[in-house]
Amino acid sequence: MIRHLFKLIWNRKRSNFLLITEIFFCFLVLFAVLSLIVYNVRNYNKPLGFEHENVWLLSMRPDTDSTALNRQTLEQIMQRAKGFQEIESMALTNSNAPFAFSQMNNQLSYGEKMIMANEYLVQDDFDKVMRMQVSHGRWFGQQDNASHHYPIVINRAMQQQLFEGEDPLGKLLHRNDSSNYQVVGVVEHYRPSSEYTAEEPGFFNRIQLPRDEKDFYGELLIKVKPGMGVEFEEKMVKELSGIGKGWTMEVTTLEKMRQNKAKVAKVPMIALTIICVFLILNVALGLFGVLWYNISRRNSEIGLRRAVGAASSQVYRQFIGEVLVLATFGLVLGVAFAIQFPLLQVFEVESTVYLIALGIAIGLIYLLAIGCAFYPSRQAAAIHPAMALHEE
Amino acid sequence: MITLKNIEKVYQTKTIETVALHNVNLHIPKGEFVSVMGPSGCGKSTLLNIMGLLDEPTNGIVEIDGLPISRYKDKELAHIRNQKLGFVFQSYHLINDLSVLDNVELPLLYRTGVSAAETRRLALTALEKVGLSARTKHYPTQLSGGQRQRVAIARALIGQPEIILADEPTGNLDSVMGEEIMNILLNLNRHDGTTIVMVTHDENMAQKTERLIRFFDGQQVSDAKTTAFDYQKV
Repeated sequence: MIRHLFKLIWNRKRSNFLLITEIFFCFLVLFAVLSLIVYNVRNYNKPLGFEHENVWLLSMRPDTDSTALNRQTLEQIMQRAKGFQEIESMALTNSNAPFAFSQMNNQLSYGEKMIMANEYLVQDDFDKVMRMQVSHGRWFGQQDNASHHYPIVINRAMQQQLFEGEDPLGKLLHRNDSSNYQVVGVVEHYRPSSEYTAEEPGFFNRIQLPRDEKDFYGELLIKVKPGMGVEFEEKMVKELSGIGKGWTMEVTTLEKMRQNKAKVAKVPMIALTIICVFLILNVALGLFGVLWYNISRRNSEIGLRRAVGAASSQVYRQFIGEVLVLATFGLVLGVAFAIQFPLLQVFEVESTVYLIALGIAIGLIYLLAIGCAFYPSRQAAAIHPAMALHEE
Repeated sequence: MITLKNIEKVYQTKTIETVALHNVNLHIPKGEFVSVMGPSGCGKSTLLNIMGLLDEPTNGIVEIDGLPISRYKDKELAHIRNQKLGFVFQSYHLINDLSVLDNVELPLLYRTGVSAAETRRLALTALEKVGLSARTKHYPTQLSGGQRQRVAIARALIGQPEIILADEPTGNLDSVMGEEIMNILLNLNRHDGTTIVMVTHDENMAQKTERLIRFFDGQQVSDAKTTAFDYQKV
């Protein structure tokens, strides 16, 4: 019977061409949207590598260009901030704080290998503020003051790309400006961009205020005790503004920043999903209409099949089967195109993402086909054979 | 072979009740070639549909091979149609998107345990019987009316049914083609012993069969052996 169905659809390929094309394009759009969704969902389920609850970001903008003066004020501000009992810990960072919209990267080399990695400039207490877990080695601190190299903590993604099976601890990495970095620790994960972004190679570089005399860091990450809210925020900003007169100070929570970042990832995903749903609805209505029309056109054939021995359930299965065969023709074309994505690793996305999307898209197209064929096929099965034959 | 007892068929709509058949009693023994005649709307096709298990009588009993079919469900009726009955229609009812060979193979698609090779062999034999072995790859639209009807007969034959029900098989054909089709049916009856019930408007064709039943207004008005009754069966 399957051979018969394929033969029937193949012989009707001209009249089914548009339907097959429609299924083909529907599959491609579905595949694209699902790839994006699967990519985002998989990333969402991966650990971020830090805890952002009760962490605030205090952004400070001095009113003068004098770094020396600004550094002096900054140290006073930090000294005062440490005095707040409501604050558990804090650490300065550069502008690419977690969930911020800025990024900084550097090219590092190890032997023959080179890597472009995100650089996060942070103070020693960053691991306490963000509850970072060092899986190998240690976080940098006072013990590194005497070191001739910049101590860095790398993430696992960077370790895998640069060191493969080698132990990275103690290894020296070089930058274009001939600075040397020494790996002192490894963290499993660190994905500060957003929950929906894939992990990228990255390393933490140490802010050492006495050494980095010429630099000014205006972002302070503050871990507050649970339950701290607007009242404490106002009190803290008021007091700190008293020290940094004329400075602009702005406090935001990492939770707010996370939500803003999530929106950026979600909006295109939702927009594409809505477009995709409309397209699928359109295809479904088209499929339903064509099937309905086909059945009314094929009354005589239905009558004949019943006369030569088809039970109504077999007529039902035949029409469902025909739609599945039609979908298969469209899917064969679609899969031939879509399979190139995992094979060529387009957009450097894991093959698994494409393969999952491919599987779900195939399943959805078949479900859509069955859904659309269900009612018309039932109608076909209910046609009275004597009436159907008489209509001819 | 086929027995109808007190058959009544009433078509009912909200406002109108139409009696298509009234108190029909018939017995068609195995191997008989019966023609059914009557004016349009007298219930001939309804009778054939009831005999062919395509329609149910409002009242009465239909027996095929002594088995009352009223208690059978749709699936079992389909099985009986597939195993015991062959249909030939005035308008052929061929599927235009399938080749002659595929059209003929159709009934065996619904029969379990027949291999594709066996189906193909039986289809070729059936087409040879109707003289169309040279047209297996043609499509119905490439054939003349007579050839199409021969394909339809081959399709009815492939399952080697004991009964063929033909609804005006020569109705759409000219006299020469009609004659050809009639000869094929007569041969099937004489050589293979197939029981044939044929509805026709053509008195000449009817006179070539063994028995002629006339209907008028849903009622059986005559049932008699024809002048061809004494033809020699081979």
